[in-house]
Amino acid sequence: MKKSLSLALAVVAAIGLTVPASHAASSTIQLYISADTNIQDLWVKTLVPAFKLAYPGYDVNVTFDLHGDHDAQETAKITAASVLHKDPGVDLIDGGFTTTLGAAGLLYRPTPGLMPNIKDLNKTVLAAGKGGIPYRASSVLLAYNSTTVPTPPATLDDLLGWIKAHPGKFTYNVPSGGGSGYAFAQTVIDKYLSSADRATLVAQAAPELEAKWAQGLETLRQLNKYTYGQNGTYPANNAETLKDLATGLVDMGTVWSDQFSSALKAGTMPANIKVTAIKNPALTGGASYLGIPNSSTNKTGARLLANWVLSPVAQNLIVGGTLNGFPVIPLNKLDPKLVTAFAGVDILNLRAGYLSANANDLKSMWASTVPGK
Amino acid sequence: MISLRRKKNKEGSLTSQGGGPSLLGLGLSLPPLLIVLVFVGLPILIGLTFSLGFTTGPNRVIAIIGQQIHKKNHWWGTLSAYNDVIHDSRFLGDLGLTIFVTVLSTTLVLLLALSIALYQRLIGGRKAAVLVTLSIVPLFVPVVISAWAIHTFYGGDGFMKTFFTHFGIDFPTLTSTPSAIVIGTVWTSLPFAILMISSGLQAIPDALIESAKDCGASVFRVIANILVPLAKTPIIIAASFTSIGILGSFTIPLFLGPNQPTMLGVEISNFFGAYNRPQQSLVMAFIVFAIASGIAVLYVRSNIKSARESGRL
Repeated sequence: MKKSLSLALAVVAAIGLTVPASHAASSTIQLYISADTNIQDLWVKTLVPAFKLAYPGYDVNVTFDLHGDHDAQETAKITAASVLHKDPGVDLIDGGFTTTLGAAGLLYRPTPGLMPNIKDLNKTVLAAGKGGIPYRASSVLLAYNSTTVPTPPATLDDLLGWIKAHPGKFTYNVPSGGGSGYAFAQTVIDKYLSSADRATLVAQAAPELEAKWAQGLETLRQLNKYTYGQNGTYPANNAETLKDLATGLVDMGTVWSDQFSSALKAGTMPANIKVTAIKNPALTGGASYLGIPNSSTNKTGARLLANWVLSPVAQNLIVGGTLNGFPVIPLNKLDPKLVTAFAGVDILNLRAGYLSANANDLKSMWASTVPGK
Repeated sequence: MISLRRKKNKEGSLTSQGGGPSLLGLGLSLPPLLIVLVFVGLPILIGLTFSLGFTTGPNRVIAIIGQQIHKKNHWWGTLSAYNDVIHDSRFLGDLGLTIFVTVLSTTLVLLLALSIALYQRLIGGRKAAVLVTLSIVPLFVPVVISAWAIHTFYGGDGFMKTFFTHFGIDFPTLTSTPSAIVIGTVWTSLPFAILMISSGLQAIPDALIESAKDCGASVFRVIANILVPLAKTPIIIAASFTSIGILGSFTIPLFLGPNQPTMLGVEISNFFGAYNRPQQSLVMAFIVFAIASGIAVLYVRSNIKSARESGRL
C-alpha cells in the first residue's frame, strides 16, 4: 500500500517536473485571441498576469484580433503550416475557429497524462472540441422586460405562444451574425428532432439529417410577421439585440449570459431587463475552446498554460472577473461565494450547439428559407 | 541625355518609335505593371482555377477547410460550384437587388451631382461654392461611421421616427430595407461624382454658353445641347466609377440592408465566412467581376473616344 502510494507520488511529481524541465527550450507562449474586447481584457488584465505569477519562468505574447476579422487568414495560415510542417507562430488559440481546426484534424489532442486538469471537464463537451479544450462557457438566455412582462415564458412552447400573442415585441439576431440568435434558431429546430438526431448533429457532420430541419425552419418562417419589424428582418448581431432590448424596442430577445451580465454591470442595460432560462428544449449554450495547433513549436508551454486555465484558481478568475463567464469544472471546486450566481442553470450540462459544419449549413438554410419569406 | 532625346523626339513623330523613349516608357510602366500582375492578376487566376475545382497546389489549404468543395472531373475543371450558385434560391434575389440598387443609386447620384454642378457653373457665386464644399464632406467621413449615422437616423428608435411621433405621424422604419441601402450608397458616392462632373463643366469655355444665349437658346437648351454633351466624358467616368463602387459595396448593405435578399458583396462574405463555402463565394465574386468588367468597357470606350477627338490617339 505504502509502496503504491509512493509510486503514485513519484508519477505525479514526474508529471509536474516534465513541464518546467523544458523552460529553457522555449519560455514564450504565443497566444492568439480572436474575440471581443471583453475576452482581451480577461486574458491581458487577469489571466496572463496571474499565470506569470504562478510560473515566473514563462512569458505570454498575446496577439489580438478584434471580432475575429482575420479568422479565415489565420485558419489558412495554421493549416498551411501544418501541411508544410512549418512553425505557425501560434502555440495556443482562443477563438471561434478553434473547432474548425479541430474538425480538420489540425489540433493537438490533449491527454490527461500531460494535461491532468482535463479530467474535470464534461466528457461530451471535451469530445465535441475534437482536440479543442473547453475553458469557459456561456449560455444563451431569454431576456425580458420585467415591467411589461411580469411572468416570462418557462418553456419553448410558451415562448412561441407569447411571440404570436405580442406581435413586434420579440427578436433574435441573424444566426450567421451571432450565437444568441443562432441558439434560438437551433432550439426551435431541435424541438422537432429526436434526442438521438440532436446528439448526432452535435458530434459529427451529418448532412443526411438536414432534411429534418424543414419543420423547424417553417416554424421560424411563420414567426416573420410576429417578430420585431413584422416583415422578416432581424438584427445583424448580438449587440443589436441587446440594444433593441435596452432601448425598449422589444420586450423579449435571446442574449448571451456573459454579454448581458457585463452590460448590466456597465449600466448600458436597464435594471428592469431580466434573464431567465427556458426548458423543453433549453436554449443552447456552449463552451469556448482553446486549441493547440499540431504544428506549434511550443506545445509544452501551451499545454502548461491551458492546463493552468482549467485550475480552480483560474476558473475563479473567469467567473468572478468582469467577464462573468461560466466555469467548465465542477462548482464544488470553486469559490462558494461566486457560485451562487449560477442557481438554476445546469452549467456543466449546457445543451450543446451543433458541430461547426452542421451549424454553418443551418445558418445558410435559415438565410434561404426564413428572412423576408 | 534627356535633352538629347527630346531633340530627337521633336524631329520624329510625337509617339516616337525610336528605341530610347519607348525603353524609358517600358521601364517606367514596368514596376506598376508587375505589381498588378503578381498581386492582382495571379490571385485572380488562382481564384478562377479554384472556382473551377482545381483543389491542389495553391488551393490545397482552402480546399481542406472549406465545405461543399467540388473537385474537377474534366481536364478543364468542373462547373458544379457555378451550378450550386445559380440554383441557390438566394442568388437571383441577391443579384436582382444588387443590380436594382446599383442602377437606382447611380442614376440618383448622377442627377444630384449634375444639378449641383450646373448650379455652380450657371449661377455660381458664394452660395454655390459653399454648397459644393458641403456636398464633398461625406468624402471625409469613413463609410462605417456614416452607415451607423444613417442607421441611428432612420432606425426604429431613430431621429426621424422620434421626431414625427411628436406630431402623431408614424414615420416608417427605413433600416433593413433596400431604401436605406440606396440612401447610404448615394451619400457615400455623391462627393466623387460632384468633383468629377463640376470640374468637367468648369472646363467648358464661357464663350460657348454666352454665344448660345445670344442666339436665343434657353437655359435648358444650353444644358442639353452644350454643357452635358461637352462634359460627356467626365459624366461617363463618374457613372462608371460610381456604379462599380456600388456594385461591390459591403458596409452599407451589411448595416442598412435587409437580411435577405442582400447585396452580393455581403452574400460573398456570408458564403466565405459564416457558411464556410469558399468555392461558391468565389463564383459570386466572378459574377460581380464580370458585371464590373462590362461597366469598365463603357469607361474605356469613352476614354478612347475622347482621346481620338482631342487627337491624342
